[in-house]
Amino acid sequence: MFANRKIENIEQEVMEAVSLARKQQPLLNAMVSFMEVDEAISEAKNSNGKMAGLPIVLKDNVLTKGVRTTGSVQILDNYIGAYDATITKKLKDAGAVIIGKSALDGLGMGGTGTNCHTGFVHNPYDLNRMAGGSSVGSAVLVASGAVAFAIGSDTGDSVRKPASFVGIVGVKPTYGRISRYGIIPYASSLDHVGYFTRSVEDAALALEVLAGRDDKDMTSSTREVEDYLANLNGDLRGKKIGILKNVIDAIKKDQTLALFNELIEKCVNAGATVHMINMDQTRLQACLPVYYIIANSEATANHSNLDGVRFGMQEWGDSLEELMTNSRTKGFSFLLRKRFVIGSYSLADENQDLLLRKAQKVRRLLVEDYKTALSDIDVLIAPASGDVAPLLTDTSADQLSARYLIAENHMVLGNFSGYPSMTIPMGKIDGLPIGINITAKPFEEQVMFDIALGMENLTGCKNMTAEVNV
Amino acid sequence: MSFEVIIGIEIHCELKTKTKMFSGAPVSFGNLPNTCVNEIDLGHPGTLPSLNKRAVELAITASELMNCEVDRLIRFDRKNYYYSDLPKGFQITQQFHPIGRGGYVDIDVDGVSKRIGINRLHMEEDTAKQFHHGDVTWIDFNRAGTPLVEIVSEPDIRSGKEAAAFVEKMKSLLEFGDISDVKMEEGSLRCDVNISLRPYGFEGYGTKVEIKNLNSVNNVQRAVEAEIVRQTEIYLKGESVVQSTRRYDETTRKTVLMRKKEGTVDYKYFPEPNIPPVLISDEFYSRVISQLPKTAQQRKDAYINQLGLSDYDASILTSGKDLSDYFDAIVGFGAPSKGTANWLISEVLSVASLRSDKKFADWIQPQHMADLLIMVSEGKISGKQAKEVFLDMINGESPKDIVAKKGMAQVSDEGQLLSWVTEILNNNAQSIEDYKNGKDRALGFLVGQVMKLSKGKANPAMTSELLVQELSKR
Amino acid sequence: MERINKQKVFKLAEQLMLRLSDEEADNIIAEFDTLLKQLDLLNQIDTSNVEEMIYPFEEPTSFFREDIIDQVLSIEDALYNAPVEEEGYFVIPKVVKD
Repeated sequence: MFANRKIENIEQEVMEAVSLARKQQPLLNAMVSFMEVDEAISEAKNSNGKMAGLPIVLKDNVLTKGVRTTGSVQILDNYIGAYDATITKKLKDAGAVIIGKSALDGLGMGGTGTNCHTGFVHNPYDLNRMAGGSSVGSAVLVASGAVAFAIGSDTGDSVRKPASFVGIVGVKPTYGRISRYGIIPYASSLDHVGYFTRSVEDAALALEVLAGRDDKDMTSSTREVEDYLANLNGDLRGKKIGILKNVIDAIKKDQTLALFNELIEKCVNAGATVHMINMDQTRLQACLPVYYIIANSEATANHSNLDGVRFGMQEWGDSLEELMTNSRTKGFSFLLRKRFVIGSYSLADENQDLLLRKAQKVRRLLVEDYKTALSDIDVLIAPASGDVAPLLTDTSADQLSARYLIAENHMVLGNFSGYPSMTIPMGKIDGLPIGINITAKPFEEQVMFDIALGMENLTGCKNMTAEVNV
Repeated sequence: MSFEVIIGIEIHCELKTKTKMFSGAPVSFGNLPNTCVNEIDLGHPGTLPSLNKRAVELAITASELMNCEVDRLIRFDRKNYYYSDLPKGFQITQQFHPIGRGGYVDIDVDGVSKRIGINRLHMEEDTAKQFHHGDVTWIDFNRAGTPLVEIVSEPDIRSGKEAAAFVEKMKSLLEFGDISDVKMEEGSLRCDVNISLRPYGFEGYGTKVEIKNLNSVNNVQRAVEAEIVRQTEIYLKGESVVQSTRRYDETTRKTVLMRKKEGTVDYKYFPEPNIPPVLISDEFYSRVISQLPKTAQQRKDAYINQLGLSDYDASILTSGKDLSDYFDAIVGFGAPSKGTANWLISEVLSVASLRSDKKFADWIQPQHMADLLIMVSEGKISGKQAKEVFLDMINGESPKDIVAKKGMAQVSDEGQLLSWVTEILNNNAQSIEDYKNGKDRALGFLVGQVMKLSKGKANPAMTSELLVQELSKR
Repeated sequence: MERINKQKVFKLAEQLMLRLSDEEADNIIAEFDTLLKQLDLLNQIDTSNVEEMIYPFEEPTSFFREDIIDQVLSIEDALYNAPVEEEGYFVIPKVVKD
């Protein structure tokens, strides 16, 4: 916890975090690079900021001036940030001490933590399991106890899914609430800056630091930032909680449903009303292809700047085309090259109507459905995943089953709509954590935090950390 | 057999802004390479575009001057292709919703007016500059991201002369609109011509050839004329024109093949997700409209109707914005308009080549020019003296100082003149006699004597008048 | 939608300045098969008279950046990441500019 706590011995706290992360690194492989902290510590000592002296970690797609920023791809392996991301500045201004950059699935494209340039990242609760992705390193470092706060980014569910798998709080606020300037993108219309904490109070405070208009990001919101922590109220009386029934129906694991139902019952006992919400099943099943097409289309264009000419890894050639082709082929894993080819196919003039534009139209229908679903309730909830974290060796998901399409992909609705959405732990199954997802109306982060706090009080899942035997 | 010539012209024009289209880095004016860039212009990871207000104002101004309808909702798209001068791997442009549409301009060819349609006007960003150096190419990103408007005409142009007149007209509108420097030789205005031939009466279009990188208005005309000859010869031989991009070779005065065009390139355009639609508010729009600069034609009309200048003089004065601005400034300092026009056209323009690429106002201050012309009009110095003073003014000295230093100022003070006249008359009894006897030459001699005595400062007209008056008394 | 062929996959990759092995191209074609099946899910949805949704929030903004110089990189920072640099320029193999 760092909310309402002044860090007395900054040096000690930071060095403990660094030391723990270093000790865990051989087992978890969550860190890409450690940063020099001496200067940041002395600055933090003079800071009155909301995170004064707090050791934190940034996902390695967040730009840091003068510090290596790789996006977890070979082509940026030697890239030194030419500038600070807006959130990097905000965090420094708040007195936070950035101790390092964490691992991610390359360019944020992946949800398993197995597509990182630096190798697999392991779940601190069971080293044989994945911790989800793409913000895997940040999630793992918060869950392992190394740091109490870490930055992630969320394009499909890349903060909220790993939060579920490692038993922490993962927040993706409203699109535009936090500036994206200086975040290596995945898909611009779906990308959100998100973050991890171990408590709802910390999550509320962190948004106060991160949120706000940034003229460098034309999509960032001019709405005033609220005093989320001061206003935080976990009283569930009279709160209207909607349950996304399609997701419940798609989940096949009894223990997940049992945990979920137990929490719902406690919510009702605490004075909340519960409402079953059904969305159009056919449209809901289209979430994944809609996401896949839009995300890959935007991504292929977004990463055309990675060409080996001005920065990053270069493989010289006899012509410009050879130089670019050599650099990009060697610089991107096959998975990324595949995604770019598929994205480019969706963008091709003769295919756009059938693919990209079709997907964008269905996106609108889904967002309209979602808006309707939320119209008479405060939040919409569902388990953040159908099951606990899969084994690292598990590649069995049937990508056409309703179980997969809906139970494992519904959180992307938060990216389509831009609505604020977060995951908090709801309990453990056989010692492995699993989370619940809470989504609110646009810019109603306060409502979301309030209900999350109410639920956190009921589950008692707060400040959870894994025991990592180093 | 003769053919109808179908020509459409695309103009790329750099906007006169301080910063780039989507970044706050400065627009370069011959700066050292890669010193006018920031992370956005270099396409670094994580950067996002931020739209320049002034560029939008200038694009609206250009649209209005070309009678286009302005789309009040600004939207941008991505044009995707890989090239070393394109840092992001895509160009941000307005493919689907250009800011200006459906306009026209009137051109004048051999005294006949013709209307040329403007299909579209859109905003986009410029690319980097590349230089060949031995086995490699050097890239300077200073120009990358510079705001541009692209203006596309309808295929309404029918000859080399019309093409040249159209480009000249666009230059004038963009220059007087304070939108661009329009320096074709430096690339701040670039012109591509699409040209095809078809038999008269034929409805369809012939194969189109694009001529790129024309660097002067004269070359536009010459290139078009050379291309018409080339295509005509091909058709008359019964062969067909190949769809291609060509350039104009000044030494051979022919167009030369650059590359053939095989099919159309798919740029995979899609809406730019990082720039939400931006609404031009009524207030913003009205402000731009209320500040629309006067066109060359409007200035010319005002010179004729309000200042009484001749059509010829007004045309010359509005042939370039710098000259017209200079004229306005001098007249603004109180110089007589006709005298200023005459002086600028007959004296200043003849030596203006000395100023190299300086603006008139930086070469000789308008205040100095006005002072000079006022002295002439008030008779303080003669026209002949004025020319002498003018040449010295090029060094930056004020005409008043020069006149004083050279002791040039004419004496028009009646008392002083009278004392000189009296002195001369007292010493020239013979001339008085001659004058009385009707010898006209005597008066001229006496004027000359007074001028000599006054070291050339006596006002000749007044001296002559005074002499006649005093002679009658004797 | 038609099944994609290998030639097309290679062509797409080439346009993206990417090379693929034969095996990789086959893998992509297999992925396309899954995509086509998922597309069936999309095509069951009637989208006539539906506009594309490009941005999560669609109310137009009215922000323009003032035309004031606010950030320039030093030449050292601009070239810091340059793989090859000469005399202040980025360097690439000779290109014949159109």
